[in-house]
Amino acid sequence: MTTVLYFGLFAMSFDFISGYTGYLSFGHAAFYGTGAYTVILVANGLVPLFPTSTPFMISLLVGGVFAVVLAVVIGLVSFRLSGVYFAMITLGFAQVLYIFVRGWDYVAANPRDGPSVGGTHPAGFEIGIPGVDQLNLAIGVLAGEEATVLGHTLGSTAVSYYMVGLVALGCYFAMQRILHSPFGRVMLAIRENEERAIAIGYNTYLYKLGAFAISGFFGAIAGGLFAGFRRSATPESSFYFLTTGDALLASIIGGFGTLAGPLYGHLFDETVREFLSKSGQGGGLLPYLRAGLGDQALATPILGDMTLGVLIDTLLNGHASLYVGIVFVLFVLYVPDGLLGTVRTRVGGTLADAARDRFRDDHSTPERTEGDDE
Amino acid sequence: MILETLLDFLTVSELGSVLVEGLAKAALYVMIASGLTLIFGLMGVLNFAHGSLTMVGAYLGGLVMVLTVSQATGTVARLALFFVAIVAVFGALTLLGGAIETSIIRPLYDRPPIYQILLTFGLTLVVDELVRIVLSLYGMQPLSDWQAALATKPQFLREPVALGPVDVRWLAVFEIFVGALTVVAIWAFLTKTRYGLYIRAGSEDTEMASALGIDVRRVFTVVFALGIGLAGAAGTLLMWDQVWGASVPLAAETLLPAFIVVIVGGLGTFRGTVAASLVVGLTDAVMTWWFVNYVRFTGLPELMLFLVLVVTLIVRPQGLFGVEEVGGH
Repeated sequence: MTTVLYFGLFAMSFDFISGYTGYLSFGHAAFYGTGAYTVILVANGLVPLFPTSTPFMISLLVGGVFAVVLAVVIGLVSFRLSGVYFAMITLGFAQVLYIFVRGWDYVAANPRDGPSVGGTHPAGFEIGIPGVDQLNLAIGVLAGEEATVLGHTLGSTAVSYYMVGLVALGCYFAMQRILHSPFGRVMLAIRENEERAIAIGYNTYLYKLGAFAISGFFGAIAGGLFAGFRRSATPESSFYFLTTGDALLASIIGGFGTLAGPLYGHLFDETVREFLSKSGQGGGLLPYLRAGLGDQALATPILGDMTLGVLIDTLLNGHASLYVGIVFVLFVLYVPDGLLGTVRTRVGGTLADAARDRFRDDHSTPERTEGDDE
Repeated sequence: MILETLLDFLTVSELGSVLVEGLAKAALYVMIASGLTLIFGLMGVLNFAHGSLTMVGAYLGGLVMVLTVSQATGTVARLALFFVAIVAVFGALTLLGGAIETSIIRPLYDRPPIYQILLTFGLTLVVDELVRIVLSLYGMQPLSDWQAALATKPQFLREPVALGPVDVRWLAVFEIFVGALTVVAIWAFLTKTRYGLYIRAGSEDTEMASALGIDVRRVFTVVFALGIGLAGAAGTLLMWDQVWGASVPLAAETLLPAFIVVIVGGLGTFRGTVAASLVVGLTDAVMTWWFVNYVRFTGLPELMLFLVLVVTLIVRPQGLFGVEEVGGH
């Protein structure tokens, strides 16, 4: 479930630019990939000036800075366009990078399979404050640490989970802060009516560029966490345009234009996938049906020599994308605000506001401050 | 070294074969992209599911070909049955397209255009996965069995032919022929028929067209259906080409070039799409030639295609033949 955290963060960074300024950044995977590749290349000593001993947190930041530079370069030309054209030019840039990385033998011996952390960096990546040993905990598949907190021992998986979560949470609060600042208000103004924002005197081009750079930064952090946890990356799982598609999925299901929404959206996504895939650790539907129906029922022929068991197997084994796709289509059609957006509309404000109001003594409707609709 | 490459390239035989290959690629691209551009031009819907439906067309086409074309032995009969296959797949996917439009795209016209993009994006996931399920239900492995469809190709299409000093594949000539036929057919449909008039009027100004008594909603359905039908026909054509064949990733492989062609040409202009597919096809052929002979960078042709897209959008955002105001979509 650690994937929910880092990918949720990526989806949030996608939502940060697309949901709040209305510019569909269809090449957002470029930033995710930049972060992921930077972390691994630093660990393999392939980035000049940064030795293999560079702390993970620093290499995360380095990836973030690379992504900011990249975002400014892409944004400088892309923000002259809008709508579909903007989506397409960002897609174009990301695909150029994807194909380039896939053929660049500097990053890995076999660039098509992507790089992985080599022997120069045997230990797990550490999340914490660089230089302060007690505060660092290693994450990563099979390389994580165990930790004892208040008498409870956390396994390496749990440690990875919480540490990745900590970074994701920090990034969430940072983005939240930016969105609630005057800068974020201008982003909303651009989404709602860009001409008017220009008319009031804002240089929207600079604001969009800034928002894109910030979004790229956090996208790269998410990619770095992904690479740090997996200890490898492939062009398909980082730079490919369908990676952006997954973030889009999470954003729509969770609620476009609600910062936390994509996280819930991706959690929902993963739950559906987990529930419907055979390897689901939490049981899943397939083992349940197998056990519940019994061998005789499963052997019932339905069509020709196809049995019920074969049919269930075919429909449920590894085809979770189908159900995710159907859910997505249904959401677009019937729940356009997404999970969190709908809840907010129902409750009439953010959940935190609603809860606070409910538990206060006076039940009078509180006066809504302006711009509370975020 | 570059000069040497250039001199090599400028010989008649190399130039000629690259030109023919480029035209053949252009023909395939125009087939894949013309449906996309028709749909966008009228409805403003960027159909993300286009690649997936091309892929469905490829599988259906392959199926029809294996079932019918392989029965015939004569070259003429095989070619005739191939066109029957294209027409059959075109018909089937037109019906499917009509069903998709009326059932799930129609409710979204009142919403911002982004929702239509999102919906078709979701549709690709569903279609791709359904195809995977059907394939595994019938135990059809993605590629090996589909060699059968490749094998229905008549013998003469497999051999190169010497036209003067130039070696040309017959298949390339055949693809150019089918592509040109499609372009002429669409052009005739758009300019010579009453329905084409409706479509052109609707593309210019939807509100005005409906004010003049054209049932624009029905025109939408027809155009969407025809666009999807064209995607299916393109898929069928791909089945005889060694380079493509039927597989689920074909969806993304055809979607991205189609986007490039449509954007470079200018969203929604059919003329632009034809011009852009020539540009993109020739670029592709030249880069493939360069890659095969000199450069050892995998994916060079692909890289160049996306660079063409990016450069076009920077220099001329509305595309070769696009109109400025379409950028508002």
